[in-house]
Amino acid sequence: MIDLPAAGSAVALLAGSLDAWIWVIPGLLIGLVFGALPGVSVSMAMALVLPATLYMDFLPAIIFLTSVYTGAGFGGSVPAVLMGIPGTSSAVATTFDGYPMARAGRHNEALGAALFASCLGVLASYAVLFVLVQPLAELVLMIGPYEMFAIAVWGMVLLGSLGGTSISRGLFASAIGVLIGTVGMNTAGYMRGTMGIPWLLDGVPTIPAMVGLLAASQLFGLVNATFLVESEQDRKISLGRILAGCALVFRYPGVLLRGSIIGAMVGAIPGVGSSIANLLSYAETRRTAKDGASFGTGNPKGVIASESANSSSEGGAMATMLALGIPGGGATAILLAAFAMHNVVGGPRFIDQNRDIVYAIILSNFAQAVLLVFVGTAFVFAASTIVRLPLRILIPCVLVVATMGAFAIEGSAAGPITLYVFAVLGWLLSRFGYPVAAVVVGLLLGRLIETELLRAYQMAGGDWREILNHPGALVIFALMVLSLGFSMWKDRRRRLGDAASA
Amino acid sequence: MEPSAERRIAWGHLALVTALAAAAVAYLIDARGVSLHPHNLLFLQPTAVLVVVLWAIIALACLRGDRSGEAPAQTWPERLKVLALVGTFGLFILGLERIGYDIAAWAFVTVALAIGGERRPLMLALFPPVFVAAVIVAFKAMIPYPLVTAIL
Repeated sequence: MIDLPAAGSAVALLAGSLDAWIWVIPGLLIGLVFGALPGVSVSMAMALVLPATLYMDFLPAIIFLTSVYTGAGFGGSVPAVLMGIPGTSSAVATTFDGYPMARAGRHNEALGAALFASCLGVLASYAVLFVLVQPLAELVLMIGPYEMFAIAVWGMVLLGSLGGTSISRGLFASAIGVLIGTVGMNTAGYMRGTMGIPWLLDGVPTIPAMVGLLAASQLFGLVNATFLVESEQDRKISLGRILAGCALVFRYPGVLLRGSIIGAMVGAIPGVGSSIANLLSYAETRRTAKDGASFGTGNPKGVIASESANSSSEGGAMATMLALGIPGGGATAILLAAFAMHNVVGGPRFIDQNRDIVYAIILSNFAQAVLLVFVGTAFVFAASTIVRLPLRILIPCVLVVATMGAFAIEGSAAGPITLYVFAVLGWLLSRFGYPVAAVVVGLLLGRLIETELLRAYQMAGGDWREILNHPGALVIFALMVLSLGFSMWKDRRRRLGDAASA
Repeated sequence: MEPSAERRIAWGHLALVTALAAAAVAYLIDARGVSLHPHNLLFLQPTAVLVVVLWAIIALACLRGDRSGEAPAQTWPERLKVLALVGTFGLFILGLERIGYDIAAWAFVTVALAIGGERRPLMLALFPPVFVAAVIVAFKAMIPYPLVTAIL
């Protein structure tokens, strides 16, 4: 599976070129800063630096862009932990436990765990890519609309059934999120629920809605508190505790491995990527954990599951891009654009003829993951000062930055209006014990689920028995029903236990 | 006889869940008005029905006085503070395109600081313009869209 002579040439290529290395740290830093800014996506950061790569050689250009990609992959988790705002959609699940950890004064540990899980996730996924680039790409081609539909419904139901006070509230929140996610014109051309508002034709803007639901809604509730972390002792920024957070990752190798595998596999599927990988990994870890009930209240396993998955999805997305020439999302599309700018065409022929360059890109990413530990620690150290700010100053500042981020996505008031509407909705839902995250998941997956279901329906000509020819989808559905049944049984047992002890 | 605290109907929760279920039904009616073709309703209709079924379960629990998971009750001054922030943030969003992002943000930060309990005049006078100027200038440099501003 590994072409050793090509791997040797890749090492020689990297060792003999200073240009290939000089851009790694600036790239990581740019990625970290842009990833940490809500509303500024990974692809936006890469798009902004893309013109600069025109003046570089091909390999340094790609290494620079992948450094930005790697940095932004972790950057999104910094505001997710410190403020409950996912810097990117890949960091949604990081907020579930990262933010409660920060509120409890364990922001150092949460960021350390997120950083190390990210680095190891990147390493793991590129290790998989190094060995399995070709078979992984072939596997991706076997995934059709049935399997995609099953994966998306699985992610939604898992999270809906696991969060909140009861399963009914979790599923209600998920279903509402899904319905919101289907507003606008569907792939068959029908326009629904737009209320005559033109910008809703493309659907509800997801990033502002997500920031509103997860972050702004929480800030409303914090107006009566004085600091994000109440205890003055816990507000300290400590390198030792960041490193202790890093060490936490080694205590849960299973969580890290599961997250990395889910991330690499889901990341490889075009159009899905890290925004679903982190949610699936989180939900699976929570479902299988003995201390599942403590998820959502500051369990570091939740942070590790999410971060390992969203970082490892980078390797998966790169596998599809390099092997098939298909961009899985915005970031890999920009990488393909960089290929084109240097008159290189990605895809099977590129891998066959330039295996040394492919290996050089992969090896450079190993080095990026290692460097991210150091650059990321310095970044985390600087960013953590936010917990020392009084909330009376932090709340208006964060709300203004979030509003500007919401504007930055589409350049219109649609973003800020969406942010406000969903902030109020999130605040009301969380007051009554609904898992706001389930609405977010539904919102992210609603359109995808409808599109894939419609595609499957059209392919089968309306014959539902066609699903029997897709064992992969059937297995996923069976697993989903089993896990939902198990969650309901656990929920009922907990309620009976509560009633008995009352 | 006064009903006990546990048995009192959870009106606030019931109102929220009913409003959301009503919105889902309104959405379904709107979609059915567009077309009854399966390509339109294949996914939307069963999901809306699921919402109504779940609403019935949750509403029943509300009528039984189930208050599990609700946030702890706040005092009136605490509630007013939250409502003042929610209202001010709404006015800020409304004012963005009308008076410009810079002025709206400046006014919002000043009022929100005061709601949060900031009373130092120098802080209220200097911090909002400096912070807002930094944010507006940074975003203007980064984003490719024109930003409506009055001063900056």
